[in-house]
Amino acid sequence: MERDAFIARLAAARPGPPLPDVSSLPAVHTELRPGDELYARFVHELTAVNGTCELRPAAAVSAAVVAALGDARRVALGADLGDHQAPVEGALAAAGIAAIAYEEAVADRAVLGALEATVTGCALAVAATGSIVISAAAGRAAALIAPLHVCVVPAEHLVGGLAEALRILPPGSLTAFQSGPSRTADIEKVLILGMHGPGATHVIVAT
Amino acid sequence: MAATDRPDGEASAGRLPVTLFGTCLGDLMTPDTVADASRVLTACGCDVAAPRGATCCGQPAFNSGFDDAARRVARRTLRALARTAGPVVVPSGSCGAMMRLHWRELFRGDRDEAAARAVSARVVEWSAFVAERELPPLAWSGRVGYHDACHGLRELRVRDAPRTLLAAVAGLELVEIGSAERCCGFGGSFAVRYPDVSVAMADSKLADVAAAAVDVLVSGDGGCLLHLGGRLSRTGSPVRTLHLASLLAEALP
Amino acid sequence: MSGDHLTGTTFEGRAAEQLAKPFQRKAIPAAVDGTVAHSRALFATGDRERLRELGRDIRAHAVANLPEYVAAFTDAAEANGTRVHFAGDATEANAIVAGICRDAGAQLIVKSKSMLTEEIELNPALEAAGFEVVETDLGEYVVQIANDRPSHIIGPIIHKTRGEVRELFSAIAGRDLGDDPRALTAFAREQLRDVFLRADVGITGGNFAVAESGSVVLVTNEGNARLATSLPRVHIALVGVERLLPRTADLSVLIPLLVASGTGQQLTTYLSIASGPRREGEPDGPDEMHVVLVDGGRSAILGTGYQDILNCIRCGACQNVCPVYRQVGGHAYGWVYGGPIGAVLTPLFKPSAEGLEVAHASSLCAACDDVCPVKIPLHDLLVDLRRDRVGRRIPGRFERLAYGAWSRAWSSPLLYRLSGRVGIASLRLLARGGVVRRGLGPLRRWTRDRDLLLPGRRRR
Repeated sequence: MERDAFIARLAAARPGPPLPDVSSLPAVHTELRPGDELYARFVHELTAVNGTCELRPAAAVSAAVVAALGDARRVALGADLGDHQAPVEGALAAAGIAAIAYEEAVADRAVLGALEATVTGCALAVAATGSIVISAAAGRAAALIAPLHVCVVPAEHLVGGLAEALRILPPGSLTAFQSGPSRTADIEKVLILGMHGPGATHVIVAT
Repeated sequence: MAATDRPDGEASAGRLPVTLFGTCLGDLMTPDTVADASRVLTACGCDVAAPRGATCCGQPAFNSGFDDAARRVARRTLRALARTAGPVVVPSGSCGAMMRLHWRELFRGDRDEAAARAVSARVVEWSAFVAERELPPLAWSGRVGYHDACHGLRELRVRDAPRTLLAAVAGLELVEIGSAERCCGFGGSFAVRYPDVSVAMADSKLADVAAAAVDVLVSGDGGCLLHLGGRLSRTGSPVRTLHLASLLAEALP
Repeated sequence: MSGDHLTGTTFEGRAAEQLAKPFQRKAIPAAVDGTVAHSRALFATGDRERLRELGRDIRAHAVANLPEYVAAFTDAAEANGTRVHFAGDATEANAIVAGICRDAGAQLIVKSKSMLTEEIELNPALEAAGFEVVETDLGEYVVQIANDRPSHIIGPIIHKTRGEVRELFSAIAGRDLGDDPRALTAFAREQLRDVFLRADVGITGGNFAVAESGSVVLVTNEGNARLATSLPRVHIALVGVERLLPRTADLSVLIPLLVASGTGQQLTTYLSIASGPRREGEPDGPDEMHVVLVDGGRSAILGTGYQDILNCIRCGACQNVCPVYRQVGGHAYGWVYGGPIGAVLTPLFKPSAEGLEVAHASSLCAACDDVCPVKIPLHDLLVDLRRDRVGRRIPGRFERLAYGAWSRAWSSPLLYRLSGRVGIASLRLLARGGVVRRGLGPLRRWTRDRDLLLPGRRRR
């Protein structure tokens, strides 16, 4: 139906309360607790949801990416690695991994479907929820199309809680929070990782 | 316990006058429990009176949506209670919640609205009332589990009082039942509207009671006990059911 | 298979069918108890009450001001390049979706879990229009193959055994897959991955729609909603019109409430905020994004005493703690929603005599009120619905006469005493040793599986 007619039907509501101020929140599990250290909380939360994480100096990030990829050879690389882009590409080539750009992989569904791993950066990471936040600028499906996802997080991208992350969301047609590997417990509540997204999520925090 | 549940009007000297509303279920099906509730109140320094002409709080009809029927019956009880003095002590969380919380709604805009407000404010659940009083030393031997009746727990927020009372009884071993706070399936007319579901709910609760290996299952609501006791009796279980008031009366010196 | 199963049935009958399933009665508590415990533990680390009050106020405010927020959402979404459609009812919603699919030249449609699409029976409508629709949430995929219905908002197949899933999947595979959930899940992943890569349209629901940004917010654990919004050429989100939130910041309150209540997690694995089709420079994403705002009976609830039910965020927490739901499961409620939320929504959306009866499918224990993350007074709404049912003279003649006679007798102390005495005396005639084992008349319903213990006969 027409917009105006549709909206007109919604006018009969009883008045409600004023919209509350949410600029400061009561204590809640998706925010930092007093005394929380950013990285420690991030590792704790990410590990709790079966993700893995390591802290590496910038110079050691490429080697860490190669190590995290293990035996994966069909690898796609996001274009959002920033300063790490060239070193990571170089290290993969040196390790004999012929990684292709994600943009190229997504153009061919057969290639996309056969990927063994993806490597991306991230726009933000949230300590209190163990989440990485990826913008559509890096590829909507880049973090979940392959069985393994390796994510490079510049330490300065790490924020405390969900509220702060929501205040500084990256631009893009989709903003995607991802906390650990894909999971399901639909069959008799048995937890299984890697339902539609990756079965393994490895985060390298670059200092 | 909430401050609003505290009895007021304490007499300056001597015994405190209280009105014990036994409830219809108590009067008709478990008069012993009402007598026990009265004995315990007397033992803790109260001058107990039963309201003349009170019948039922109207809850069965109210919860089924028959407000006119509920109001008609509740009015009788309300007027009887309006003539009494002191706290109105109710040995049932469910009837207590009806009177304390829902009577205001039932009598909104009614000629008895003011009386409903006044009486509602005097209503106190029995265990919450007794827990605030001084009792003589109590002794009773056995392993006891407590079942929280829903409305006492979630509407009147009576959780600690019965446990405090039971813990004060020498020789009594209080065991927490796994699902103490989950509904037993009585639910007033629900028990006969959907007997299969109601009994399935009882069985789920009674499995936890069996696992806790108690001798006696205690609750503060006669409805739950009628239902759970009836199921225990049918299944031949050795577990006894007892109203908290009866257990404490047995434990009196 | 969807639609309602109310016509010609009763809650008692449907419940009896479900009670006869011993697996389900064990599986539901086993499935939900962990969630309830995790949820409680998470909320215990914060100021739960204050958070719930904020959640309630945000939702109540949004629901009370929908004209403003629908307009703002539409403007913002259109500025993002999203097309917004307005569906007055289920038929219109289904026609809009079919039209979009037809215009896109689509054949294969992937869907992620959405209770709204169950409400409007979207799948049969799309299939009738010639499209192939594949559910991609593991549980919903099983439901679809089995021609079944979801029985829980969050866990659609908590009523199914791994053996049943094994049979269903093995039939598709043409070989026995065994009953290891790992192998069964891997099989589904493989099947569905192929479908995702080929699909033309991805259909999702929307947990929230944010007015200020024109975004649709989706929470999932499997990642299927994310894939459905990434790979197909067209993304269609169907959102109940009441699910609007004024601001992005409101998510910092409602996401923790929804997720902790629904799954007991800190945050679901995937939280996606979809704000339009693929933009310049983005490597993937749909060419078109459509949002279908669905009224479907919601506007009729606005302004009534039931308006608060529109604050619901479909977390399923009330189902998890409901002692009735735990015994009978979701299907007994006869429509899409089970548990307390179903006992309120079914009478409102299906106001037949059969639909209204569902308001009685609760012992009024109020456990639902205590867990509702947006503090909906479910217990009071159930009593109000029962009152409406009486107002519409739906209860049978016997029930009406009984309450009438009862109220006349018990409003007189004399008749009260007399009827009590006569009642107890007649019960004694039926009793042996103070116990009635077989009652007569309405009492039969009490004594079918319970004894009635008479006064003076205390169980010692």
